[in-house]
Amino acid sequence: MILYENNSARLLNIIKWGNNPFKKFVSTSEIKEELDFVKSREGLINRIKTIVKEDRNFILPVIGEVGSGKTHLYWALKNSLYYYNTFYISLESVYKKFFYNIYSEFIEKLEIAPLKFVVNQLCENWGALERKYGFFQVVDIEKIKKTAINQLSAKYSEIEPEILKDAITGITTHQLDPYKKIEAERWLLGKLLDAKELSILNITHDLHKGKNAYVLLRLFIENSKLGTILFIDDFEKIVGISNPQDDLVEEVFDPSWLYGAERSPNDIASEKIFSKITQLQNIDGLRVIITLKSIDSLEQIKKKYQDIDSELLPPIKEPIFLENFSEEDIFELYKSTMRNFFNNIECNEFTKEFENNYFPLNSTILKNVFRQAHGNPRVIIKTLIRIFNEIIEDEEDLETILKNYENLTTN
Amino acid sequence: MSDPDNTILFDSVKGIQLEGEFEGSIITRCKDDNNSIIFSDNLKISNSEGIFIVNGFRVGFELDYNKKSAFSRKIEAQWYEDFESIEYSILISEDIMQIYGEGQFSDAYPYTLNKLNTATLYFDDYGHKINHLDFFKGEMLKNPIALVGNGVIVADRVVIDERIDPVFYDCLIVGRDENENLSVSFEPYMNVKKSLTHVKYIIILGIEELKL
Repeated sequence: MILYENNSARLLNIIKWGNNPFKKFVSTSEIKEELDFVKSREGLINRIKTIVKEDRNFILPVIGEVGSGKTHLYWALKNSLYYYNTFYISLESVYKKFFYNIYSEFIEKLEIAPLKFVVNQLCENWGALERKYGFFQVVDIEKIKKTAINQLSAKYSEIEPEILKDAITGITTHQLDPYKKIEAERWLLGKLLDAKELSILNITHDLHKGKNAYVLLRLFIENSKLGTILFIDDFEKIVGISNPQDDLVEEVFDPSWLYGAERSPNDIASEKIFSKITQLQNIDGLRVIITLKSIDSLEQIKKKYQDIDSELLPPIKEPIFLENFSEEDIFELYKSTMRNFFNNIECNEFTKEFENNYFPLNSTILKNVFRQAHGNPRVIIKTLIRIFNEIIEDEEDLETILKNYENLTTN
Repeated sequence: MSDPDNTILFDSVKGIQLEGEFEGSIITRCKDDNNSIIFSDNLKISNSEGIFIVNGFRVGFELDYNKKSAFSRKIEAQWYEDFESIEYSILISEDIMQIYGEGQFSDAYPYTLNKLNTATLYFDDYGHKINHLDFFKGEMLKNPIALVGNGVIVADRVVIDERIDPVFYDCLIVGRDENENLSVSFEPYMNVKKSLTHVKYIIILGIEELKL
């Protein structure tokens, strides 16, 4: 039996087995981010929290350069605003079937129990829980549907009556008709339904079609007890789509042959998405946070709003800037990542042991990494991954590897 | 769960008589041969004119060609000038009704049997006995009303278990305690052993009659 008394050697051994404490340098909406924001960014989170609490409808731009942690911000917000349903979309992935994709994300993050609660609440508002003779709930679905249409038709006047009727039928059937509940639940969850299932439900289309998903999204957000935050990452893609092509670039296929010289397919696509985003602003209680890489993109977006409708501008808030790390932040990042690593390998005793000497690295290396990355979090993490990979893979001893990085000069 | 916020509007035993107009979920127990109960969302008590109910629902037993059978009937508007015909009227608190309502709206039992017309599930009276419990063994019936001992049970559903005893789910129980004080409680389920308790009747309310 080997007894390790030397914790440094033990830790080094564990790392050399191929365990890199720094694993990913890109945050995604799919994989939950375990690390909290560094302390210097807590003020930013608090500012966003205040805006979210004070306002029900707004667009809040967050500006930060590539790798500054914009997607990480989504997780930080999701963790701290846990009493809001915060969901993420990237314009690239919801380019087609815009409302349907947003609805799917919304439902996935909301989860089934709160969804059932909202459906119940809606039916209650439409008189489903009315007690006959003070005691008995007698379900009269047709009467409830009629009440719902009367209540909603004025507010949803821009929606085609057929679409509104489908939404009301889906909701009331799910809540009040036990024999069709399974089909209605599939419809509510946005599954593809065949003609037979649709006819059982007495519904014309499933949620893939037209504005059905938009109506449900609006109904659920407006009636949800939880507030809703939509986080749209890389929002400037909407500008990118519509940016004019460089005239000097020779194209084998000129779209103007098919679509005319005035409007390219990109322009049309961009306009469509933009118009759909403006429709989202009609949803009462939907707070939108967009991320952008530069202030120029924000100006272009504002101009686009102005061109369409100047009334759409007021809900756009003053931007919040996501600054690069300060020097203290890299130490905090290192410590918290190592703490998580020690926890994952079930060696929590290392946390105290290496808290201040940053083993296997040291403070000089961390400072050098910070300087070389100019404080950009992604570059910092990438460099740390590279150093640990060298520790794992190189046959040279730790001291030699570290010496290379201690002598690192800023480019 | 019991709630002291229930309001006793009229109690012939304790001499309680609140004058005024009341709205909410009100159970009125009648002092008649039919052991009838009135459900209503309103009730007016006037010392000079008696008790007035509009749009109530009366449930009980009546003699029909020497045979007792369950009935449920809508009351358009009725004065009970003689206080002697009413045992008590109690307004059930909204908190209890909310919990009761959640049970009624539960989707956990989609295959509960709804009867179209009001009928007797069980009845035990001098010379008259009806027992359909065995027929419904293992089934779940919606909207049972029962008179057990001196208490009224209004439940969302009743299941007849393997011993052919009724088990009431999500039920309101109105009865008197040892000091003859009226009390209301809500129980998620209540097992009634008909061999041990004095079950006077169990009526299943017809859904069509409730819709009237």
